[in-house]
Amino acid sequence: MKKAVALVLMLLLGACLLSALSGIPQAEYRLLHGEAPARIVQHGMDDTGAVNLVTGVLFDYRSFDTLGESTVIFTAVAGIMMLFLPGQVPLAGKGLSSMAKRSVDLLLPFVLIVGLYVISHGHISPGGGFQGGTIWATLTILMCIVYGTQFESQFIEYDAKKTLESAAAVALLLVGAVALFAGYPFLSNLAAGFPGGTPGQLVSAGHIPWLNAAVGMKVAAGLSLIFFSMVKKKSGEG
Amino acid sequence: MDMIELFHVMLLSFLIVCALAVAHLRDLLSAVIVFAAYSLIMAIVWQQLNAPDIAMTEAAMGAGITTLLFMVTISKTRRREQ
Repeated sequence: MKKAVALVLMLLLGACLLSALSGIPQAEYRLLHGEAPARIVQHGMDDTGAVNLVTGVLFDYRSFDTLGESTVIFTAVAGIMMLFLPGQVPLAGKGLSSMAKRSVDLLLPFVLIVGLYVISHGHISPGGGFQGGTIWATLTILMCIVYGTQFESQFIEYDAKKTLESAAAVALLLVGAVALFAGYPFLSNLAAGFPGGTPGQLVSAGHIPWLNAAVGMKVAAGLSLIFFSMVKKKSGEG
Repeated sequence: MDMIELFHVMLLSFLIVCALAVAHLRDLLSAVIVFAAYSLIMAIVWQQLNAPDIAMTEAAMGAGITTLLFMVTISKTRRREQ
């Protein structure tokens, strides 16, 4: 009975989705209709200075939404750290074999540089703060698994990560507030006098690289904090 | 049907197979691994749809971080679905 109801519901949902799909104009949906997409495609590079228009939208036209997204991560990290009670000590793992440790030693600088590249070239090539930050977070998690949490917690202290995450959030707000002091709306970019530079250069696109760096730091510290809070154990437990 | 269309059909059918497998597997650890495979294929699909930014996010988040967090959760709870 339950299964039959679920099946009927799924079929109804499928029919709704299919009818919505037929509403999309198939032949010309690549042409980007509407005023906003046309504006972004035609003038996006002049408006934002970013060659990668996706980053241009994320950190210039819709930078306030990005601030909201970072707040979501901040709240998630705060919630998880509250859920896994404070006062627990890191689980003393011995880590994996020495072969795995040496392999990670070789891999480590390259992953670090890939993350740095993705963050710093967010306005030129695909990528940005969120993606690069995730790559950096994977690095600390890799260290945590291969070397054991004890080593990882000594290498990058728990409190340092907390400070780093909050500092990145403050940096994000400060970069936005610079525009306020210049007399422009919060988080406005080239209009507020950030140097645009030549689009395609590493140092260009006004505040976008700064925001990318802040978001990258925030995501890296936040995700690594989430993982680290979850693997913690009470000192008494086995 | 040319090669690229065949490739797309293969990717999408593999996605469906992965999604069904995740729902049906009783062993949660296997389900998490299959879910990581799903994310990896989804990343290729995003790239084929000319969305490399989303593809990178999907690969790093879906296949990397989500899998790890699920694994920690499984190690703290039970491995078998009841």
